[in-house]
Amino acid sequence: LRGAWPRVAMEASELWVGFVGAGRMAGGLVRGLLKAGKVPASNILASAPSDKNLDAWQELGCRTTHCNLEVVHRSTLVFLATKPHILPGVLEEIRPAVGPYHIVVSLVAGVTIQTLQRLLPPRTKVLRIMPNLPCVVQAGAMVFSRGSNVGDEEAALLKSLLSSCGLCEEVPESYIDIHTGLSGSGVAYVYLFAEALAEGAVKMGMPGALASRIAAQTLLGAAKMLLETGEHPAKLRGDVCTPGGTTIYALHQLEKGALRATVMDAVEAATNRACDMAKD
Amino acid sequence: MSVGFIGAGQLAFALARGFTAAGVLAAHKITASSPDTDLPTVSGLRKIGVNFTVSNKETVKNSDVLFLAVKPPIIPFILEEVGPDIEPRHTVVSCAAGVTISSIEKKLSTFCPTPKVIRCMTNTPVIVREGATVYATGTHADVEDGKLLEQLMASVGFCTEVEEDLIDAVTGLSGSGPAYAFTALDALADGGVKMGLPRRLAVRLGAQALLGAAKMLLESEQHPGQLKDNVCSPGGATIHALHFLESGGFRSLLINAVEASCIRTRELQHVADQEEISPAAIKKTLLDKVKLESPSLSVASASKVSLFTNKSKKN
Repeated sequence: LRGAWPRVAMEASELWVGFVGAGRMAGGLVRGLLKAGKVPASNILASAPSDKNLDAWQELGCRTTHCNLEVVHRSTLVFLATKPHILPGVLEEIRPAVGPYHIVVSLVAGVTIQTLQRLLPPRTKVLRIMPNLPCVVQAGAMVFSRGSNVGDEEAALLKSLLSSCGLCEEVPESYIDIHTGLSGSGVAYVYLFAEALAEGAVKMGMPGALASRIAAQTLLGAAKMLLETGEHPAKLRGDVCTPGGTTIYALHQLEKGALRATVMDAVEAATNRACDMAKD
Repeated sequence: MSVGFIGAGQLAFALARGFTAAGVLAAHKITASSPDTDLPTVSGLRKIGVNFTVSNKETVKNSDVLFLAVKPPIIPFILEEVGPDIEPRHTVVSCAAGVTISSIEKKLSTFCPTPKVIRCMTNTPVIVREGATVYATGTHADVEDGKLLEQLMASVGFCTEVEEDLIDAVTGLSGSGPAYAFTALDALADGGVKMGLPRRLAVRLGAQALLGAAKMLLESEQHPGQLKDNVCSPGGATIHALHFLESGGFRSLLINAVEASCIRTRELQHVADQEEISPAAIKKTLLDKVKLESPSLSVASASKVSLFTNKSKKN
């Protein structure tokens, strides 16, 4: 049975949003939310044990506290953003305050919906989300899954709120670890690649700072073309390769180094690690 | 129109088989010659009904389109031998890897002022009419001469005109390509056998899989990468297998192969351009025949011999 929750409160601007935990991931999400102007900063309350992280939130105009319970009392949409080993204790603490009108969204890596539902009151609306770092600049990739008590409205609300931070898709929970391997950790693979590109340029005589900026822009531009044209990456790759030209020579080097297999290995390793960690 | 083949080996046989099966040419309009009558392809040619002779000159006389279907080191020999018999009506088509149009024209122009030369690169599946052929026309070959050859070769597969400087790359890709495919098929069959299939069935299925895939690609607008994706269901068997291929550097091996074949073709061309023949490059029977006809030609076993230092024209 739903609480007497007025429909109008589903509008983002009327929403009271809370964050339990105020670390990097939470900070990324809130910055995205604020940049998109969906939720006023004054409607956001974040809790953390120390002031270390909270200063940054205050600077954004958000309200802060050291009390997790206060966040739950004063929010409808509650993001759980603690470290995994902290979460069970936090859930035990806030459980008495969680009601049927709350929407609890966990950002905590490796903690399943089943676990969350077990540690929270029955019929709590639980969702699990895996964002990635570029949410901070509104170019994130996020996937989320819903628990058993979540209806289409809540899922749509979350999706609409978070689309301000980038790509946001609902998926079966089994995809979440894969998303970690692909995109959560994937951001680091891209940084590695960018660094290597720039180093190659430095080797060939370009100053490092310029090389780094160009490397980043190259990745950005290529990604943008992929997203906007919707073409298969193999086709776009072929389009750049003039016969006997520079690109095909370079690609041959990449193939010799089995780059593709190595990248597949990386995604696989991160995904498996995410699965293993979830079991702990 | 009559067609002649100097040389009666794999290439001549494959083309003759293809042309006759396609119905563009009657067997009796085809002549093939070779000094070596023991070749298995010779009896094959005879069986189709092709006129076989040991005299290259006879082939030239009875042909309008003359295919030079001998190995590249032999080409200079042949041109020297049949040069005097080449007439303006002849179109000389060289299928020899790495032998340039200009080297052929240069040789023939001592006999005929404006020799019509076309260079072509084909491959063995012409035998089943699924060949891949490219050609480049020489200085004195008309558009019609090219189109005539194109018609002939299109009857046995795909044929298109290219600039001559691309022909070495074509050699690397589709000239040698069937060998890469045979190797792949052999290995695929091994995989099937390992997992329990009888060999014959494994070969049959492997070949059909490649045939089907190639046909899909040729008939599709889609990029092969997309077609690959269409087969790879998430977490399924195929993507697991592909990961293995990628780990082994499958793609780069294929790139390496095409590159190596192309480079080797260019090396051979360079050798041929020097107009020197290593005796090891010439089969013993042919060498003996040459020695018989040109006793003054010295052949040093360890060093290269220049074919033209002791010019001794036969008859």
